[in-house]
Amino acid sequence: MKKGNISKRKRREYLVAYAFILPDLIGLAVFVVIPIIYAFYISFFEWDFINEKVFVGAANYIRMWKDAGWWNAMLRTLKLTALYVPSLFCLSLFFAVLISTVKSKMGSFIKTSFLMPFAITSVIASTLWMFLYNEKRGYLNAVLKSLGFANQKFLGSNKQALVCVIVVLLWINLGYNMILFLSAIKDIPESYHEAATIDGANRWHIFRYITFPLIRQTSIFILVTTTIASFQVLDLIMVMTKGGPAKATEVGALYIYDRSFNMMEMGYGSALSVFLFLSLLVFSFVQMRATSEKEERI
Amino acid sequence: MKKAPVKTVLLALFSLMLLFPIYILFMSAFKQANELFVVSLWPEEFSFDNLRLVLNSKFLNSIKNSLFVSTTVTVVAMILHSMCGYALARLEFPGKKLIFTTIISTLMIPTTTILVPLFMVCKGLGIENSYAGLIIPAFFNAYGIFLFRQFYLDFPRELEEAAEVEGCGKVRLFVQIVLPLSKPMIVPLTIAFFLGTWNNYLWPLIINKREEYQTIQVYLANMVSGYSTPWNEVIATAAMSAVPVFFLFLLLQKQLKEGIKVTGIK
Repeated sequence: MKKGNISKRKRREYLVAYAFILPDLIGLAVFVVIPIIYAFYISFFEWDFINEKVFVGAANYIRMWKDAGWWNAMLRTLKLTALYVPSLFCLSLFFAVLISTVKSKMGSFIKTSFLMPFAITSVIASTLWMFLYNEKRGYLNAVLKSLGFANQKFLGSNKQALVCVIVVLLWINLGYNMILFLSAIKDIPESYHEAATIDGANRWHIFRYITFPLIRQTSIFILVTTTIASFQVLDLIMVMTKGGPAKATEVGALYIYDRSFNMMEMGYGSALSVFLFLSLLVFSFVQMRATSEKEERI
Repeated sequence: MKKAPVKTVLLALFSLMLLFPIYILFMSAFKQANELFVVSLWPEEFSFDNLRLVLNSKFLNSIKNSLFVSTTVTVVAMILHSMCGYALARLEFPGKKLIFTTIISTLMIPTTTILVPLFMVCKGLGIENSYAGLIIPAFFNAYGIFLFRQFYLDFPRELEEAAEVEGCGKVRLFVQIVLPLSKPMIVPLTIAFFLGTWNNYLWPLIINKREEYQTIQVYLANMVSGYSTPWNEVIATAAMSAVPVFFLFLLLQKQLKEGIKVTGIK
């Protein structure tokens, strides 16, 4: 009798659990898993969205291999990542360490100011910075002029455009990552610092041997997420430069977008998506591997 | 303690630098069109012309759409993910590990790489150019599930046990006891989902071509996509569309700061 009761209760628990999970499971399957599988499938076809799909085997991947435009775009993605990720990492860590020592009311004001740009959406940020970057009459050029510098083209220059985009990215994301570091720093017991100070450690030593090792988890998290995000920067570029001038900001994600939605080359666009997906997968795997190896050494 | 003020002053100055573009945005919204590019810290003549110009039906409609879409996404996502997270953390059922691994592995799929096929799936379902297309795909985010699960793993078991002794079923237990106590996770995730959806530009751009369902981000971005940009309108529109989120931000900044700690997501 008792046994029967338990199994009946268990069965009810199973039922409730599946009912709780099912909506999310179906949704993820339809809107995340099926699309990635579908992308893989479509990448073996030629399809302009209007006519019938034509099976072309690996032709899209062979085309990608020979497509100089694509590799140049991927190179720009790597350049953006190489510039953006370390600068965001260092700046947000630097400011987090500084702010962690500010105890007054000022600290709250500073934190809020750092976070304000994060509350602005990327499209608003893009239009605002286009205004500030304006070639002829923008605020930034006015400031430069008053300091005695020549007029700069900013987004209109193929040398500066990518850096200009990165500046906006930093402006938006600095506060957010700074807060992440800050809360990790706050979790370190005060007594560690006190003990080190008594032992005669200076500020750099405290940072190098206490703070930095103890916030490793957060560091890894920020490195991995910003790297993945930097591979996907698309909205800012689409609004501010559309890949220009002279393709100077045409990154991999934008190249895929153009192929797929402007040139209607769904098959080729999917092949590029699959490639980007796999390289991100490898990249984050390597990054996690590298950081966990370091962990073992320490 | 001696050095603290210098550092604080420098930090405050840098904060002002970060705020400066935002200040320019709001200040310029009150400038007259011909004064817009005159570099100054205050409008020569305070004018509401631009604001009046942008407060047209298209702008208001796109704000309404963004509010509707973001709110719906957030509410439904909270319900779905808290249920799913709770089941994964606290209920026993066959296949739990497999299901959890499957859900977590979808985190590896970056959204931009599935834009094309996601669009095709939605087209296949017939939800393009509709609210459904804007809203439904935005629900499903394994991070939300994952964070709810983490939260419920640390949830005190005694409460549930006590309720069960009194013969309370699992569903009632969840709705009446667990959910009201989930605020520490619901609040930050609500902010994250709302901001994320409100901010989203690419997906609404791709899935919807009809003006009546246009979101504010698409509306604003379209304004600067032509050959000549009506800057006075753009700046005023950008300023106006920043207001709802800024309002939310200033209202909830403490929760936001906490939330970033908890969720680590945007």
